Amino acid sequence: MSGGGKAGLAPDQKAALESWLTGQAGARSVSVIDEGRLSGGAISLNLAVTLEIDGGPLSGRHPCVLRTGSASGVSASLGKAEEAAVLRAVFAAGATVPEPLFVGADPAMLGAPFYIMRRATGVAAGFRIVKSEEPRRELAHELGRQLGLIHRVRPGQTELAAGLEFLELPEPTAALQAVADFRRWAGRYAASDPVLAYGLRWLERNAPAAGDLVLCHRDYRTGNYMVDADRLTAIIDWEFAGWSDPMEDLGWFCAACWRFGRNDREAGGIADRADLYAGYEETAGRRVDPAAVAYWEAAACMRWAVIAIQQADRHISGTEPSLELALTGRMLPEIEMDLLRHLDAVEAAP
Amino acid sequence: MINDDPGARDLVAIALRSFREAILPVVPADQRFTALMIANALGTAERELAAGTGAEPALAAAVGDLLGETGDLPVLLPRLCAAIDSGRFDAPDRQLALRAVLTDITLARLAVSNPKRLSAERREPGR
Repeated sequence: MSGGGKAGLAPDQKAALESWLTGQAGARSVSVIDEGRLSGGAISLNLAVTLEIDGGPLSGRHPCVLRTGSASGVSASLGKAEEAAVLRAVFAAGATVPEPLFVGADPAMLGAPFYIMRRATGVAAGFRIVKSEEPRRELAHELGRQLGLIHRVRPGQTELAAGLEFLELPEPTAALQAVADFRRWAGRYAASDPVLAYGLRWLERNAPAAGDLVLCHRDYRTGNYMVDADRLTAIIDWEFAGWSDPMEDLGWFCAACWRFGRNDREAGGIADRADLYAGYEETAGRRVDPAAVAYWEAAACMRWAVIAIQQADRHISGTEPSLELALTGRMLPEIEMDLLRHLDAVEAAP
Repeated sequence: MINDDPGARDLVAIALRSFREAILPVVPADQRFTALMIANALGTAERELAAGTGAEPALAAAVGDLLGETGDLPVLLPRLCAAIDSGRFDAPDRQLALRAVLTDITLARLAVSNPKRLSAERREPGR
């Protein structure tokens, strides 16, 4: 959210969208009911829409989300048409994600590429998800199983990975590619902030060897899945997806910065790691490597730090003046403290 | 330029107090997130203006000890980054000494940006 605007579709955009959707859906007519902006997503804009489709295979009423890019993104994020292709692949792999229905790659219609997916029910807000008396062990287990399904999508597979050719392979390894990206995104801050300099150096010197490459969500954490009562209804926010080391997603999920104050529940503030790991091993066809997860947790802190820097830069540069983006820049000390504490623990381990 | 009284710190402090007492309680629910962000931003600005450069000499001395140099913190920090990049802190004992100083620097920044986290760190290091 940058400023709390409620602007949805302008009348001419709505008309253009309806006529385009009518063609796409092979329908007699489509009307779009604009239900306003959904919260969440500093990078993307999400509009609640209901499609009333008359005729064609999708004839009926469909609560959906129209997702489009905002004025400026961060370097790691996919375009919306690419994001929809990733969503299509993981949907086909059996993961619990919203089904993408229509992809509008032409920026002329709404000002930026967009896609429309089915709308899941439930809440995503991290601070609400972690609010529970007892640990949510079954939820953590299910999130592990889901991640295992997602990680079955691998580069070069003819069926599951069809349409994902635009995703680049990391070079020379997933870890070293990640650190090189972090260094580039950190820009001038890597030369003036010694915590960043130390974190980057540590990640370069401790990078695990090349291993399996799988489709990683790369923002798989509490806050980016939806829960209705106790049921997982959707894994959302796929804009950072890419080929990487499968342990990266587990490290990101468990990283201290995504526990929403429940530091005692190391798996995303909801349960123990054991619950997540057990679910993962059920479906992934590989074991969890705790040392590699620990490496990727350090990488998670660094990644979040450089994303915070980039978010703040969108404000500082004047591209997108926003209080929320500005304050994100001021989160750097707490992110760096998480990194230092994590490295203290890793280095102290035998 | 000549600044008049009250100064920036005082103005920000009283603006924040008035905002908290008079505005925040009557802000409609859909604007509450923005209102809380405004309070957060003003609070950070107030603490930054209050802290000034008071913490810098002690941190500069600690960084200087690591590097075997003397100087002001804004000069020493880029040198520390360069020393880290060149591998001068790769040995385990040097990393340990480095992390202690980096932790002190980060705690000083938390005092401005997130005093709640700072007190949590003091109660229970590592959270």
